[in-house]
This record gives sequence, C-alpha cells and structure tokens, in this order.
Amino acid sequence: MDAAHIRNFCIIAHIDHGKSTLADRMLEITGTVAARDMQEQLLDSNPIERERGITIKAQAVRMAFTHTDGDEYELNLIDTPGHVDFGYEVSRSLAACEGAVLVVDATQGIQAQTLANVYLALEHDLTIIPVVNKIDLPQSDQERVKAELKQAFGFKPEEVLYVSGKVGTGVKELLHEIINRVQQPAARPDKPLRALIFDSKYDSYKGVMAYVRVFDGVVRGTDRIRMMATNSMADVLEVGVFRPTMAKVDELAAGEVGYIATGLKSVGECRVGDTITLYRGGADEALPGYGARKPMVFAGMYPSEGNEFHELREALERLQMNDASLVFEPEQSAALGPGFRCGFLGLLHMEIVQERLEREFGMDLVVTAPSVVYRVVMNDNSVREIARPTDLPSGGEYQRVEEPWLRISILTPSRFLGPMMDLISSKRGEFKKTEYLDSAVVKQGDPDSLPSSDPRVLLEADVPMSEVLVDFYDQLKTRSRGYASLDYTVGEYREAPLVRLDVLVNNQPVDALSLITHKDNAFSQGRTLVERLRTLIPRQLFEVPIQAAIGGRIIARETIKSMGKNVLAKCYGGDVTRKRKLLEKQAEGKKRMKRIGRVEVPQEAFLAVLKMDK
Amino acid sequence: MPAGPAAPPLGLYVHIPFCETKCPYCDFNTYAAIESLMPSYTRALEREIAGWGAWLGGPALTSIFFGGGTPSYLPTRDLARLLRAIDAAFAVAPGAEVTLEANPRDCERERLRAIRRAGFNRISIGVQSLDDQELRLLGRRHDAAGAIAAVDAARVAGFDNLSLDLMFGLPNQFVASWEHTLAEAVALAPDHVSAYALTLEGGTPMEADVRRGRLAEPDGEIAAEMYRLAIDLLAGAGLAQYEISNWARPGRASRHNLAYWRNEAWLGVGPGAHAHLFDNGMASLGALGANGARFAVVKPPRDYIRAAAAWEPPAAPVTRASLAAVPFLDTVEAVSDATAMGETMMMGLRLNEGVSDAAFAARFGKPIAQAFPEALTECLDYGLLCWVDGSLRLTDRGRMVGNEAFRRFVVEAAMAG
Repeated sequence: MDAAHIRNFCIIAHIDHGKSTLADRMLEITGTVAARDMQEQLLDSNPIERERGITIKAQAVRMAFTHTDGDEYELNLIDTPGHVDFGYEVSRSLAACEGAVLVVDATQGIQAQTLANVYLALEHDLTIIPVVNKIDLPQSDQERVKAELKQAFGFKPEEVLYVSGKVGTGVKELLHEIINRVQQPAARPDKPLRALIFDSKYDSYKGVMAYVRVFDGVVRGTDRIRMMATNSMADVLEVGVFRPTMAKVDELAAGEVGYIATGLKSVGECRVGDTITLYRGGADEALPGYGARKPMVFAGMYPSEGNEFHELREALERLQMNDASLVFEPEQSAALGPGFRCGFLGLLHMEIVQERLEREFGMDLVVTAPSVVYRVVMNDNSVREIARPTDLPSGGEYQRVEEPWLRISILTPSRFLGPMMDLISSKRGEFKKTEYLDSAVVKQGDPDSLPSSDPRVLLEADVPMSEVLVDFYDQLKTRSRGYASLDYTVGEYREAPLVRLDVLVNNQPVDALSLITHKDNAFSQGRTLVERLRTLIPRQLFEVPIQAAIGGRIIARETIKSMGKNVLAKCYGGDVTRKRKLLEKQAEGKKRMKRIGRVEVPQEAFLAVLKMDK
Repeated sequence: MPAGPAAPPLGLYVHIPFCETKCPYCDFNTYAAIESLMPSYTRALEREIAGWGAWLGGPALTSIFFGGGTPSYLPTRDLARLLRAIDAAFAVAPGAEVTLEANPRDCERERLRAIRRAGFNRISIGVQSLDDQELRLLGRRHDAAGAIAAVDAARVAGFDNLSLDLMFGLPNQFVASWEHTLAEAVALAPDHVSAYALTLEGGTPMEADVRRGRLAEPDGEIAAEMYRLAIDLLAGAGLAQYEISNWARPGRASRHNLAYWRNEAWLGVGPGAHAHLFDNGMASLGALGANGARFAVVKPPRDYIRAAAAWEPPAAPVTRASLAAVPFLDTVEAVSDATAMGETMMMGLRLNEGVSDAAFAARFGKPIAQAFPEALTECLDYGLLCWVDGSLRLTDRGRMVGNEAFRRFVVEAAMAG
C-alpha cells in the first residue's frame, strides 16, 4: 500500500480512561475482528494485563477502513503501555506514529498521566486528536472536559470528538478523522532500510519477534539484518503484519508497521528503541532516541525453600527472554540464603515480575523491600553505585552519598491541595510550582468554559525516589480520596545525609531487613519498623528482641513475648487422628515462613518497611 | 468367661448421643430431641456389644466408660441393660473402672443409687463452672447450687470415685471467677478433676458468635494464667496433675482415659465412637498386626441403629478387611509404624509420667532418640521436654505449649512415614 493510504497512530490515555475498550470497538467496526471473536481488552494478551486493566507490553494491529473518499486505508494502531514504569517504551511507540488519539474520561477529566502523555506526543511532533470518552455514562461532564482540554492544551472546541468506546458512539467518525487529520507517513522507500523496534517479544517457534515501524527502505522475509545499537545480526525468518494475529507478508515497506521474525534467542539482542537495517548496504546512521534502559529499583528475590534456587534462576531466565529490562544476578543473604538481586523499571514492573514468577512458574518467594540505586563517592573520588543497603561502605570510607530524585507532577482537585502539599513535605519533597488548571478560563469568561468551584491544580515537585517507593502512591490516593493522579520523570542525583538502618532479630542482624534512610528520619523509621515487625512476626517459643540499629548503636527495641499457651485442652480416644492431622496442618503453615536462626519469620515482614504509616 | 492371668488391657467406650439440650460450644456427636430413639438405640447397642464380644472371643475389659452426649439422660433401666449386655459379652475384670458421665440435672439421689447398683463405680459430673452467669453463657441448664447438690447426692448414693468436669478460658471470664470455681470445687472434695480450656470449634454457635463479634474472644493470655492457677490450686488440695487437663487423688487417675494416652487398645461402640485395636497379645487380634487399625462408627444415630440392629459378626478373623466390611463402621484406617510412633508421643507426652524410653523401644524396636532425632533435640533445646528416670516428659513450660512439642513429633513421623 502506498504511504498516502497509511496512517500510523496510537491511543494515549490515563489508566482506566477506556483506551483498551476504544481499541476493541475500532477492531470491531473495521471488521478486523469479528464481533463473535471479540473479548474484552483484546490487545492485552497477558492475563495480568487483563486482570489489572493495564497494558504492559506494546501491541500493534493493522485495520482496513474505507474512507469517505471511497478509498481503503491501512490504519496501524499501536497500543502503548499505560504506566509510568514503562515511559521509555511509551516514547518508542510514539516515535513509530504520526498521530495520537488522546482519550480523556468524560467523568474524570484530565489526569496527571494525560498531561505527561500529551507533552510526550508533542515532543514527537504527533498530531493529537482529543477525544472525550465514556459519554454514555450519566455522570459524564463533557462541557467541563472540553474546557479543560482548551485550557490545558489549547484544543479548540470544534477539534474535540465525543465517543463511547463501550457502546461505539462516534467511533466511526473518529476513524474518519484519523485519516483526515493524521499525516501520511514520510516514506523513503529508496533509502537503505531503517526500522524502529518499538517492542519485541520472544516466540518459541520463531525466536524474537521485533515489532517495527519501517521508516526507510524495505525489509523482506529473506533479508539478513543488523541491529544497529547492539550490533547483533540475524537472518529474517519472515515478515508480517498484525490482523491482530500475526499474518505473514512478502515485505514491509517504508511507512508500514509490522513484525520481523529474527530467530534470535533473547530480546536482549533486539532491544526496544534500536534500529534495524540491512546487513549489507545498510544505513549509516540509526534512528534517533535509542537509550539502554537502566533499572531504577532493586530488590532481592529468594525462594522460600532454599533448594529452589535453580528453579528460580531458570524462571528468571525465561522471563528475561521476553523482558530486556529485567536484570538479575545471584546474591547470598546471610539471613535468607541464596537468591537473586533483581533490577526493575519501577514498582509495578517488580510486582508484575513477582506475580508472574508465582503464577506461571509456581515459585514461592520471599521478596525484600525495594531499594533505589545510590551513588557513593569514595574518598579517592571513585563512584560506587549500590542498590543494596548492606553494600553501603562504613562511615570513614566515603565522602558522600547521593540519591536519585524524581520530578513528580500531581493533578488534584484544589480541595486536596493542602493534603498533597503535606504529603510532599513528609517525603522530603521540594515544591516547584502550582498551577490552577481552569482558573484562567473563569477569569476570561470564555463562553466555552464553565466556572468551577473546585478547580484542579497541577502541582510539581521534586521528591527523592526512595520516598516515592514507600507508600507514596497509596498515600496520594488515600489523602485525595482517590481523586489525585501522579506522574513522574527521573531527575538528578543529589547529596543527602543517608545512613544505614540495620535490624536485628533475636540479636542477629538480618541483612534482608536493612535499609538506607535519611538521617533525620532514621529514628522514627527505626521505631516504626521494629513495631511493625513485632506485630508481623508470630510469637515463638522464646522471647525475641527486635532491634533497629545505626552504625552498631541500638536506636529502637521491641520484644516479641514468648508464646503463652498453645495446647489442645481435650484429647481423648475419640479423635486421635483428628488431633494429629490438626498438628500436621499447623506445621504446613510454618512452611511458608523463612527461618532466621531459630525465629520463623513470615514473608510479609520483609516488606514491612514499605507499609510504614507515619 | 474368665480372663487369663496376663490378660492384655482393653477398654470399652459406650457412646450415648442424647442430650436434653445441645450446648453452644459442643461439637460432639450429640443430639437434642431424639429421645424417641432411645429404646431402639439401646437395642442396637446391645446387639453391637454382643457382636463384638462374640467376634473378639469375650476378652477381659479393664475399664468401661459411658460418655456422650449425656449418658445419665438415658433411663436407668436402659443403662442397666447395657451393663448386663457388656457383662454377658465380655469378661469384666474384677475391680474394673466403670464410669458414667452425668449431668447435674439428672443427679437426684434415688436415680444415682440405682445407677450405682447397676454397676457403675465412677461418676464424672459435668459441673463446668460454679458461677451462674458463666453457666448460662455455656448454655447449661443447671446452676451452681444444683451442681453442689449433685455431688452430695452422688456421695450419698455411694460413689466413692467422683470426678468433676470444669471449664476455663470462657468469653468475658475473669481470673477471679475461675479461682472461685476452683476453690468451690476443691471444697467438694472430688477424687478427680478435669479442667479444660474452652476450644472454639468451627461450626458451633459459640464460635460463630465470637467470629461475628457478638461474643468476646477468649483471651489466650488470661487462659494461660487460669491454667497456671489450676495447676497450683489443685496440687495444693492434694489433687496431683497426671495429664494436661486432669488431676486426681492417688490411685484415682482415670484408668480408662490412661489407656488412650498410653496408646493402648480400646473398643468404642455407638455412633461416632472411635476404636483402636492392634495385636496386643489378645488371641483374636493376632491377625491385625502390631499397629493394627483405628476405626470409627457412623455418626447419624438413625443410620447407626439401622446398620447395627441386625449385625451378625463375621466368622472371619479380625483384620482390616473384615473390619471394613462391618456395616456400621465409617472409616477403617491402617496405622503405619511411623504414625503409631508419632501418636504414642503425641498422646503419651500429655501425661505427667511421660513416655518411657524402655517401653517405647520394646514396642517399636528403637529408642525415642533414634525414631525422632530432630524433634527430640529441638524440644530438649527449647526446654519443652526433659528426661526423668528414663522417661521423656513435658517440662512445666512445655506443658503450657504442648502443641509445639507434639507437632514436632507428629511432623517428623509424617515425613518418615
């Protein structure tokens, strides 16, 4: 198909604003998927994606649609991940498109992620089509959302479309508008091949499948290709398009979206953001924007049963085949035995990996509290990056420690501004600016806007990343009764007076419970942590002291009293078997605990630091 | 039929599933408002007793225990008939302990006199508490005065072996009120006391009330304190503790219950009753093997009556297979070596006398340390158990947290088995 009849677009939306449902309707209306084959969130193929209603992996689908001019057009929808953890993947998906459908929930209006996504789309010079979704709901407030779109981004009222992804209203019109407004891809078929990898996935038959957008040249099913950043080479097994299942074609030409089956063994050789060119007569310069992803968050993962170490390694290797951003290396914890230090893009990424290990591989895991990557500037000016509290060198060996900060933006109804500011202060944050989203509209008396008694505020602040890891999002939702939304970008490293807080269980230091914390918070954190551990660790046969220490000095102590009474009063001939089975069952419960010395510690205890209410 | 000189011990448990009302904490196989079944029930039980006597070759019985339910609620003539049936089918050893569990409401003097005359020589009275408010909470229909009168009546009727059942760790119960109950009970000069911490069993109304917050959950710490108080107070009154929940004057420990804790053989008749038979030297049990079988009778009384009323014991020897064919038996379970060893520890450690290493080795062919290397080491390290005169016993501390010790043995046995 010639480039003039191709449109490449994505849908950007805040979580739950109906992106996947809208995509489902498009597939149905264009006849790409027959209504009887339709299932909800069709593009989200992973069960965890369906359950959580989020998109983790990018997906693509080609749809054929007859326009008002009577011609058939090829519409390539690239579905993007919907979570800040996967911001880089989002940016690569956007780079593969010329247009973006901006979906805003008619009942909720613009959210923090909407803002972030729009700015990202603008950075990539995408044509944005603003769409107000869920107009079928009685509580929808189209007028207000329209005013917000104008105020926040300058969209003219006549540009805004109104749809219901759920019942299908306006979706056909939207498809026509995509053809009208989104530019055709700038295609240079005569130049050497350059194809952007916007996602990749491992397939056990065809190796790594690279999801690509071809910018220049043509790729055929017989070509030998080269990945320009990793410099790996592959013989193409086949090329094809998504309808939405993979369908083989002879070639993918400039402007098109599809897949290349590479036969490679690991997605690490075929990374998102890399450029594919031909092995012979390839391009000299890669497409812009490649950056290797670095994990932001590290945590230890240990099998509950020490002898499952090899199974865990195998499971992690299997996951890594499909997830280049997951890194891991073996580590030995004095308390937990052999396990792996794993790096993740963010907390959601970590949760997903943990869930997949448990669900798909049947692993029973102990996961330690996540840590960010600290930079330690040593006395000889060398810099060490550490992602494990116990790696922090002792006091005299280094000049300073630096921690990563995040630039966060919170969008909240103004009545929760106070609580939001309190939250940021309590997390050592620094305010950057506050901006009223619709106050200007009210001042101007614009006829398209409605005055609002509770305008929404955009709050920007810098917050240490480690503070955001600890219940920040939960607090944000709690303190705003669910109304505030959050987005962030990674900021700079800053020096901070950080100390290591150690925890001793039964007088034995437990490396897996150590954490790095700000000096000023160390005392209160130590106290909270030992209190929580006291409630989480069940009574043992003996008294168990739980202590928090900084540099060998005990700063907090709690004692778990020894078990008072545990005996079945009555046991006669009638029920010997029953009593025996009862005791056997009690023992089953103990299996889910990790033994530290003589103390049986449940898995939740290792995450206690994440759930410290202040 | 006379018993041989070295007749191996065998106890007989007789289940009486009738109650005037069902107590809210009770999950036993007992029923209210089925009194109309009493005559046919008695006949079925006579039949079952006769059948077993014939099948086992009329062995000697060292103890008989009528439990329930409320055995005293059964008409005295029926109780007497059942004892006669037992006498006819078995060789009741001279001086055998014959116990009847009784509700204080049934303990009026003439009735107890008749019961005593019928052959019962031990009475266990379900006093539970001597605080009227607690008795109401427990759904008991007697009051403290009634319980005291029942004890008097039993003494007058000629029971010189008398036990009281008490309960502690009740919702909202104070230590002071438990102390009062204990003191009053001791003043009644019983020969034996059983004191149980209330266990909230799933499916009982009381458990549901606690789960739904309508009733305070009993406090484990307070129950522990009450238990320590019972140990001190009863010992001070000359009642020596001989099992986790049982105290007795010298020579008055319940012989029948000791058989359970010593993992000996016993037979159980009536719906829901359990039995444990093995080759204990009795000729008729030779085919069962050293560890034998545990089995239980079906629970619903009507099913039981139907199946037992026409029972003819088989001609085949007693084996697991022939037991499994008995129409009123519900489950017949083989006992493995490992299970038998685990159960011997689980039950035997409940006794203050503990488990004799020599007796254990004689029965299972290896000493305790060899059968349970890990459990033993751990329990000794934690101070739950100690060796006294060649027997393994719970320490005072271990008695408070007995499950911790029992569990280790049972689990090690399960892994070995």
